[in-house]
Amino acid sequence: MASVDVALATISFKRKIAYKSTWIFSVVFGGWSLLAGLAVWNHLIGDGEMGGYDWQAMKAYLIIGFLTSTLAWAGSDWEMANRILDGLVAVDLTKPVDFQRARAGEYIGGMLASVPAALIGTAAAVVLFRPAGPVSPLAAALTAVSLLLIFPLAFGISYLSILTCFVTQRYLGIQWARDTMLAFFSGMMVPLALMPGWLQGVAWSLPFVHFTTTPASIYLGRVGTAGALGLLAAQAAWAVGLWVLGRLIWSQLVKKVTVHGG
Amino acid sequence: MADTTTHPVRHAGGVYGRSIVAQIRAITEYPADFWVMASAGVMWNVLQFAFLTVLFAAVPDVAGWRYHEMLMLSGLLTVAAGSTALLCDGIWSTGTYVLKGEIDYRITRPAPVVVQVASSHIGMQGFGEVAFGLVMAVYGWIGAGMGLAAVPAGVLGLACAIVIECALITMLCAVNFWIKGTNSVFAFVMLDLQHNAMTLPLALFPAAVKLVTMFVLPVAFVNFVPVAVLTGHLGPWWLVGPPLAAAASVLAAVGVYRLGLRSYDSSGH
Repeated sequence: MASVDVALATISFKRKIAYKSTWIFSVVFGGWSLLAGLAVWNHLIGDGEMGGYDWQAMKAYLIIGFLTSTLAWAGSDWEMANRILDGLVAVDLTKPVDFQRARAGEYIGGMLASVPAALIGTAAAVVLFRPAGPVSPLAAALTAVSLLLIFPLAFGISYLSILTCFVTQRYLGIQWARDTMLAFFSGMMVPLALMPGWLQGVAWSLPFVHFTTTPASIYLGRVGTAGALGLLAAQAAWAVGLWVLGRLIWSQLVKKVTVHGG
Repeated sequence: MADTTTHPVRHAGGVYGRSIVAQIRAITEYPADFWVMASAGVMWNVLQFAFLTVLFAAVPDVAGWRYHEMLMLSGLLTVAAGSTALLCDGIWSTGTYVLKGEIDYRITRPAPVVVQVASSHIGMQGFGEVAFGLVMAVYGWIGAGMGLAAVPAGVLGLACAIVIECALITMLCAVNFWIKGTNSVFAFVMLDLQHNAMTLPLALFPAAVKLVTMFVLPVAFVNFVPVAVLTGHLGPWWLVGPPLAAAASVLAAVGVYRLGLRSYDSSGH
């Protein structure tokens, strides 16, 4: 990793924590989704089970989803989008730094700024709700690997979403659509096990599934060691694939750059 | 030179109308932008539709609410949220304008700042949200076996929902006058809360949530209360709630935005 990558990540990290009140509020309120999910599934599952999840397992499932989504969307996607929308991307093109790699450094720096708060929030949720534990120490270790892979995966998805700003005037709607797709196809809204077969097929063919279903399946032992390694390989492949796809799309869309009508 | 001798409300309405028309003209210059954003707006509805369909394949009802009633909940919320994108999407830029000192320019112009900021942009995702939200609400309405007699109450609920949503988002975006940042975190959290919790029956949540969503930040009056009245989960006298909540929300939004402007000290301080 070059020093420029570290420098960009550090700047992004400092920028994220500079607006402390905004940062703290965004983390605190992120817990609302978790509480809403817990209320719904507590009511639906009761003492029984749905899709193979009993209440203890569902609590673990939802808390893992909370942790991954808090980490995933703490990156600097708005800063990336604004560089394109404001035309600063034209200046970036003159710099001796690869645009995608520079944005990746900034994005990861922003994500790292959220790690302490995400961990504290998760620890609080574990203490309060006492979910099921990992099925084995190996499963816990592999879950941690899956969580680490979310960093490049989240960047890949965010980078593709901000590239749409070359053909749009606003990022908010794109962000909303992306977050919705993540919530649904990751299994956060409803576990994949409850979906019909064809919809499960669609979900497994998209990268979003690795944000909740993959780490939760490994953690809860819904897949064996071989299955877990396979899921991690798929997750890593998506991270690489999205990086390459981002580069290909960038090479086409950058031709559309017009600054102030020029 | 603007004619400031006319009634202030009519003048503000005129400025708002001209600004929105200018934005619509701008939209026609970017057709790709329109279609990308409108499709993005439809996304939430499609996936919410899928979520409810998957959920109700496994359970017959959720806290006494059936499939078509839940579709109405989601549909009405989307129409209200989508309407804010069409009517006052610029308000989301309040934080950016405050940070960059761009409120200065708007203070010097002879029109209310909140009107100028609100009409500075149209969120094209709103076209998709409103269109598909209406489809979802009407499909739920028909599926729930509701007739034409309830239409006036439905229209009242819809109008109040749009007013409440616009007012609450304006109020929460105004928080950026004090808590500086380009992102309107509070408004975004409210929308997130609505999409997570207000698409479900309130009976699922603790009493504190019911109190907050009805009497502190009255998001329950956007979709839950009107749909609950229409479907018989709440008594008809609850129908006075949405107009009252709309009036209170508008007063709160105007008051908070004015207070924000008083504390505004441009950029670099």
